[in-house]
Amino acid sequence: MTTASQREQGRNLGLYATLLPPLIWMSLLYFVPLLILISYSFWRLESYDIIREFSLINFQTIFGNAAYRAVLLRTIGTALIVTLIDIVIALPVGFFIARYGGRYRTLLTVLVILPLWSSYLVRVFAWKVILGYNGVLNNALLSLGLLQQPSSLFLYNQFSTLLTFVHIWLPFMILPVITAFERLPVSLLEASADLNAGPWTTFRRISFPLALPGVLAGSISVFALTMGDFITPSLVGSTNGILLGNVVSSQFGVAYNWPLGAAFTLVVVVIVFVALTLVSRWGALESL
Amino acid sequence: MVSWIRKDSSSMRAKTRAKTTRQSHWTAVLLGGLLALIAICIPIQGVQAKDCTLTAIVWEGYTDSSFEKPFEQETGCAVKATYAGSSDEMFAKVRAGGGRTYDLVSASGDITERLYRAGLVMPLDTSKLKNYSSVFAPFQNAKWNTFDGKPYGVSFAWGPNVLVYNTKEVAEAPTSWNVLFDPKYAGKITIPDNPMTIADVALWLGMSDPYDLSDEDLAKVKDKLLELRPSIRKFWSTAGELANLFESGEVVMAHAWPLTYTQLSEAGFPIGSASPKGKLTGWTDSWMVSKNSRNADAAYQWIDYILSGPGQKGIMDVTGYSGATDLGVEAVGLERAKKLFMDDLSLHKEIKMWQSVKNYDKWVQLWNEIRS
Repeated sequence: MTTASQREQGRNLGLYATLLPPLIWMSLLYFVPLLILISYSFWRLESYDIIREFSLINFQTIFGNAAYRAVLLRTIGTALIVTLIDIVIALPVGFFIARYGGRYRTLLTVLVILPLWSSYLVRVFAWKVILGYNGVLNNALLSLGLLQQPSSLFLYNQFSTLLTFVHIWLPFMILPVITAFERLPVSLLEASADLNAGPWTTFRRISFPLALPGVLAGSISVFALTMGDFITPSLVGSTNGILLGNVVSSQFGVAYNWPLGAAFTLVVVVIVFVALTLVSRWGALESL
Repeated sequence: MVSWIRKDSSSMRAKTRAKTTRQSHWTAVLLGGLLALIAICIPIQGVQAKDCTLTAIVWEGYTDSSFEKPFEQETGCAVKATYAGSSDEMFAKVRAGGGRTYDLVSASGDITERLYRAGLVMPLDTSKLKNYSSVFAPFQNAKWNTFDGKPYGVSFAWGPNVLVYNTKEVAEAPTSWNVLFDPKYAGKITIPDNPMTIADVALWLGMSDPYDLSDEDLAKVKDKLLELRPSIRKFWSTAGELANLFESGEVVMAHAWPLTYTQLSEAGFPIGSASPKGKLTGWTDSWMVSKNSRNADAAYQWIDYILSGPGQKGIMDVTGYSGATDLGVEAVGLERAKKLFMDDLSLHKEIKMWQSVKNYDKWVQLWNEIRS
């Protein structure tokens, strides 16, 4: 016969055994790489050798060089603009699907997610095909007689970068917004109408504040994804529009300056972490 | 293995049945997943060690099924190639794997010394190569692949960086790089996304040694590049991307490798190639073998094959570059060899071949500034 404390012990052991695999998993795939990244960012490169000594030279390079500062600011700016545009598009779409979707709600939600099932690269290349010199848009404008000859204004600039980002990350914004609007109690809306509030007032004072955590949850996804991306700017971006991701990839792949690359990555991680902390205060993480 | 976990956890079943089954279920799933991961990883390593697969990091065109197949049939060794977009990428990738990832590198003169200094390549025993005597005499023991008196690489191909243009859009064959600055073609040109392009700009500016640039020289190069930047539609990074830029009408003129000319003219695209006299950079490429190569013998076989007639012809046909052996001259015929300047090497002497740059950190920095 087993005593109570033995049983207690057995249960604890079982609990630890259950926790062990995810713990190992998280350590090996998350914490260890993060620690390696952080330590690299404080090392430095000297004539193609990585010197494993503590130094802040990488951060001096990043913040001291005007070109790198410009890239840093451009990346944050781009991420913020993309997030803002996605919010503006996602709010009406999400509201419509959640409120008036009715029995088509699932179908409409699936349609929002549908692009995510195709490859990211395919979606970026699609924009190249649409916006290119001999692309779909130019051909359409030519045949409509709006243009005399193809224009190269659509591709390889800030506009095409923003457009592509806004499009490929949009589902990440719409989904939490739909969820947020779905949770909105109808009784509150009815009460608002009973008190003679117009639709705009209701939206401003009731719907939007209650949907805000969802919007913030989407924002953090869109912001973080844009901050780290390097494929979109290198495929459709302008000649002077590289983002932090491009600098990181060139430090790792081209220049073999892993310490500097790691330092740049750490800057991105810190920015995203700060953003995460800010939005989690408004309950964004509970509505993910 | 799942049933074993179930049996083991049955001792805990006494208390709350539902809870323990849920727990053991998750343990089973997680442990099973981990074991499956390990199981997937082990056989792959086993297979790789057994087969004869040569891994190589090369420029586009240096491996192609047209001349790879005969080698594979003869030796039973398959070649698995990775394309590099720039010398730096090539160096970084060899370096990252500690020389274990790739057996072979098709290194250009700007990284041969770097690879040697980093201790990533092995000295070669040229007596193991029966075709070595066929390599052009000035290319044997050449300064770009011989260090400490020992050969670390075998030259096999070379060529200039040229001006490639769409013959429909550019009526007159350009004779000078200045055409890139012509406002007529603004927004329609492309140059390589590669710090070595700085050497070309230095040449355009008339600097005598484009690989030894002072800070002042670099500042002048920067001004010239900034002047050019508004005209650039896009920086190209791989030959495939460049061909695509031409075909989609995005650009009409490029600073490029002859490979693009060869590929596009074969595809029937209206393409021309110009080499402004005296102002050319270029490269002489050497096969180098990783110090930690697991297939060194097969690597020697591959090098020997590329020096032979079929190997040389294969590379020249695919890339349009010049070969580096007498057997290659024989294989393509004297007339074509003359066109590729393989008979007197007069062009080779005229080209400022890529070589290692001492203040390369500054070059990369400058390039990042141009790009941002």
